[in-house]
Amino acid sequence: MSRRLRVGLVSFAHVHAPALASTLRGLEHVEFTGIHDDDPARGRVAAKEHAARWHETLDGLLAASEAVVIASTNFDRRRYTEAAAAKGVHVLSEKPLATTVVDGRAMIDACRRAGVQLGVAFPVRSSPAVIALREAIAGGVLGRIRAVRATNPGQYPGSWFGDKRLAGGGAVMDHTVHAADVIRWLVSDEFVRVQAELGAFIYGLEVEDCGILSCDLAGGAFASIDCSWSRPQTFPTWGGVTLHVVGDKGTVDVDVFRQALTHYDDTTGRARLVGWGDDLTVRMIGEFVDAILAGSPVPIDGEEGLRALEVAIAAYRSADTKRPVAITDLRV
Amino acid sequence: MSGRGRSERSALFYTLAGVALRVGILGAGFAGAMHARSALGLDDVRVVAVAAVPLDQAAALAKECGARVATAEQICTADDVDLVVVATPTHLHAEYATMAARAGKHVFCEKPIARTREQAEEMVRACDAAGVTLAVGHVVRYFPEYQRAKQLLDDGTLGRPAIATLVRGNFSVGSAREWYLDDAKSGGVVLDLMLHDLDTVRWWFGEPSRVYARRFTGGGGLEYALATIRYDDRPIVQVEASWAEHAGFRTGFELRGDRGMLVHDSRDASPLTVQSPAGPAGPAMMATPTLAESPYRRQLRDLFARIRRGERPRVDGHEGLRSLALGLAVIESADRGSVIAWKAPA
Repeated sequence: MSRRLRVGLVSFAHVHAPALASTLRGLEHVEFTGIHDDDPARGRVAAKEHAARWHETLDGLLAASEAVVIASTNFDRRRYTEAAAAKGVHVLSEKPLATTVVDGRAMIDACRRAGVQLGVAFPVRSSPAVIALREAIAGGVLGRIRAVRATNPGQYPGSWFGDKRLAGGGAVMDHTVHAADVIRWLVSDEFVRVQAELGAFIYGLEVEDCGILSCDLAGGAFASIDCSWSRPQTFPTWGGVTLHVVGDKGTVDVDVFRQALTHYDDTTGRARLVGWGDDLTVRMIGEFVDAILAGSPVPIDGEEGLRALEVAIAAYRSADTKRPVAITDLRV
Repeated sequence: MSGRGRSERSALFYTLAGVALRVGILGAGFAGAMHARSALGLDDVRVVAVAAVPLDQAAALAKECGARVATAEQICTADDVDLVVVATPTHLHAEYATMAARAGKHVFCEKPIARTREQAEEMVRACDAAGVTLAVGHVVRYFPEYQRAKQLLDDGTLGRPAIATLVRGNFSVGSAREWYLDDAKSGGVVLDLMLHDLDTVRWWFGEPSRVYARRFTGGGGLEYALATIRYDDRPIVQVEASWAEHAGFRTGFELRGDRGMLVHDSRDASPLTVQSPAGPAGPAMMATPTLAESPYRRQLRDLFARIRRGERPRVDGHEGLRSLALGLAVIESADRGSVIAWKAPA
């Protein structure tokens, strides 16, 4: 494939923005069209660091781009997506898709009306270990899948991630969707019921930093998700993603970021994990870009992003009511 | 209280007479053998009789202990037995524990204390009425990794507990012991495996406020359960129990307080790993002890010392009943699919 897709980066608010910018700069099939940010100071610094063009206006970046990656706050994703769709620009949205089901639905509708594609950034699906597991499940190697215990614990990311309006919540909003999406994808099934226990215990935030979700899937399997910002500042890495999958014929443990060197670093006085596994951001954006260039559906679309978001929203409602919540109750 | 007086007389008797504590073992399965061998290594303790069904299954263990083979009924009423170890299938605990208590024997009962709450209450009443000690084998309280965690919680090192996960898995035990597969006898993976961690959660954090759980039974002994245990304010605790851990027994926990986190995984905790040229299926080449004294022996050593001093056991019948009730709440939640409010039995 010789053609390169012109891709821009909207906002540097998200903690993933630096990795996204480096990826866009490095991908062979991408012409990185530059960065726009509502915060010009932050945006200019980022553009300079990543040798990217700085766009003073969003319209300027959209005019130069066929697709954009939106790395804004969760709250701003709808606004930016609608603006991109209006200019006929494809969107890859950071996760979660939005902060409410209504916003997520509006984003999907806006892109459909405009005839552009809406993708959602779930890099865990690009993990070779996860892909191998999905193939094994599809091939019946593990028998019927009965239960999944997923964890996506992390360090507290700081900044707006602890702001209820801009993030839409705390650890649940930040981390539930990765696990929910990968479980849906692995077992080819949908969540129907969610129970959650949440707490703001560690950082004195207005949003929860601890959470355990217990979920039922339509086919009868159940799953739990630990979404907590439970990794201490001294933890040797940001966090991780693990899956304990129990089938009738076998049990599998996945530790997505297990491939890492342990670096005992006297200059910082602590040990750090240095990952050497495949760069999942590179694989994820590459798959999105290839789909757009080929005119085929993106690997993870807005509807799928919304399915994962619903699990997080249901968790909040369950924590409020102290009862399990049916996903269908969120849609009416 | 009459119970207390009786217990003090027992202490006097053992101390002054310098007589060994005479133990009868009911059950020659995993737990019975473990407790018998643990008792053998202790001073002033003698294993005098072993029972099993059928009776001849007690022969090997009895011989190893220098004990006689006898029926459970004979052991519970024998003149030369001071303490009965009840390591029968779970649904039979109550029958033998009450029989032993009425004959004036102390009772050490493998966990869970019983299959039902009513059975457990009957045992507690019978032992209290007879003035004998009733202890329940929640052996995790004698595992040093769990004790150390408790210490770091209690001394404030970890800060206030925020969130914890405890996991425990094994291959399907039903392949070796059929009664485990009968939920009415064993209570399945929740009362067999998860009960250890439910007891640990109560020991570490006190009484929770509500419980939610999911579980499946897959036939052929495959069983798996997840429970979320919530305290009024904090912490949130997740407990996993699995009979689908085909690689074998393992335990682990993560304990996050607002000042730090503890992580334990039994798979990474052995100081000694042995490989045979015959591969993983080859014969064991050497014993792999990891502690100078096993938690099972520490448990009995502590219990017997307390009985001699006339003190209550670390995990008495009331405490065993409370942990059983929490396990039953987990099962009820999983069966009903609803959150169960928790109130501990007195």
